[in-house]
Amino acid sequence: MAAASASTFVPPRQRRRLRRRLTDGLGWTVSTVAFLLLGAATISIFWAIAARGAHALHLAIFTQVTQGTAGGLLNAIEGTLLLAVGGLLLAIPPGMAAGIFLAEFGASRFAPVLRFMSDVLVGLPSIVVGYFVYIVAVVDLGWGFSALAGAIALAIISLPYITRTSEMAFRQVPADMRDAARALGATDGHVILRICLPIAASSVLTGVLLALAISVGETAPLLYTAGWSNYTWNGHLTHEPVGYLTYAIWAFITEPFQSAHALAYAAALLVSAFVLVISIASRMLMAASRRHSR
Amino acid sequence: MPDLDFRAAVTRARPAAQPAAEPAEAVATREVNFYYGSRQVLFDITLTAPEREILALIGPSGCGKSTFLRTLNRMNDTIPNTRLTGVVRVEGEDIYAPGADPIALRRRVGLIFQRSNPFPFSIRDNVAYGLKVNGLAKRKADRDAAVERSLQLAGLWDEVKDRLDTPAHALSGGQQQRLCIARALAIEPRILLMDEPASALDPIATSRIEELALELKTRYTIIIVTHNLQQAARISDRTAFFLSGRLVETAPTQQLFTNPGRKETEDYLTGRFG
Repeated sequence: MAAASASTFVPPRQRRRLRRRLTDGLGWTVSTVAFLLLGAATISIFWAIAARGAHALHLAIFTQVTQGTAGGLLNAIEGTLLLAVGGLLLAIPPGMAAGIFLAEFGASRFAPVLRFMSDVLVGLPSIVVGYFVYIVAVVDLGWGFSALAGAIALAIISLPYITRTSEMAFRQVPADMRDAARALGATDGHVILRICLPIAASSVLTGVLLALAISVGETAPLLYTAGWSNYTWNGHLTHEPVGYLTYAIWAFITEPFQSAHALAYAAALLVSAFVLVISIASRMLMAASRRHSR
Repeated sequence: MPDLDFRAAVTRARPAAQPAAEPAEAVATREVNFYYGSRQVLFDITLTAPEREILALIGPSGCGKSTFLRTLNRMNDTIPNTRLTGVVRVEGEDIYAPGADPIALRRRVGLIFQRSNPFPFSIRDNVAYGLKVNGLAKRKADRDAAVERSLQLAGLWDEVKDRLDTPAHALSGGQQQRLCIARALAIEPRILLMDEPASALDPIATSRIEELALELKTRYTIIIVTHNLQQAARISDRTAFFLSGRLVETAPTQQLFTNPGRKETEDYLTGRFG
């Protein structure tokens, strides 16, 4: 026993070095595998969408409206933008107000309640939001499937993201900026609007872009609220359904027609490309604001 | 016997004769106590700052001198769970009286912070900020004139006049601090509080700030908190020594440094503690 261990004796320092190299190697392996898995998933999804979508993407997609299960997607592209931007316009004022309240008056008794409700809203299944707006707006208020009902559903989904990013953005404003402003005789309102808001603006905008990306990709809350239309929007906020890209994916992929499949692939490509562009834009914005704050 | 260096510094900094008459009081406190929650950090501070003089507050870290400074423009109001008793008068007015407006007070009592804190705006917008907040100099020409005057007072004009629209963060540390002084001066305060304004600066930038303080003294009352005893000796007319939240002694600077009245002051000045 003693002889055996003597023959395989490794000095403690070398043993430690060996252990360190092993854990180092293990760490690198795990990270590399994780990276490859994530990268492979993202790339293969985009590859599949692009390969089929590129085939289906004709000029007519952008210039013609849908005719049954053929034609273009002009109505859906326009509807998606209308619903997403409309939802943001509805969500930004209350979302930012709530975020600013949480950041600036976080000590208030009301703040934890607000934060909790915001967190619940993030976790709420989007189809439940759609169902809720369907009951309240589409049925009870009698708006029918409409742009406004769809935008409200998207606004409810965007709201907690905008609240949270606004709160974070305002919290990150250095305390000495507020002190400097107060020492010059600024009121709370002035400190928030003229000092914190300009400093926090780019971070808030990042959150708004995230909400926009989420809105563009939402399907479930719109099924009950926006309906579908083969025509471009006629300017009516209520009583007039609107088309949108995710509906085209959801509905047309199960149709037994080649033309319907092509529309679904094209819609999927457009939605993905849009989300990708927004993600890149928000990244660039974040990098720019970081450079700026140096 | 305190260190001889202080005496040398005091003599260098004071060629002119002392004023004959006792000047008016810019700031006067009576039995000020201050609490963070249940912890008392200031005990019965009774102190006056004569007009157009520099009053230096010295003492070891945590002695309450910065807290005291911030009671003078009610900046401590922004910290939750704080409480003050006693009377603070600024130019005769009780600033903690019910109905007293802290916003209007801060316009009259400027504060320069330990670390320069320019806004992430242009040099011009930094100086003009106080004007905008207080609704002063609404016409652009007036505002530009106020910006130039303030930057001149702060000794920064010649260095920045060709780049007023560049970001303030491009300036050096010393320049940023002088920009903050210009920003405070733009709204024409009567009293300037300085909380260790040069502690983060190199010796050359520090001496610029000290020269500036001496120049500004002819127009403003200055109360400066400093860790640097030589600095207090060089620039101040009166010095107040704080220890553990109490005011140990206040006296004309020359007297306090050469012939302190209290044992604690002498011990601090000779470096026996703090």
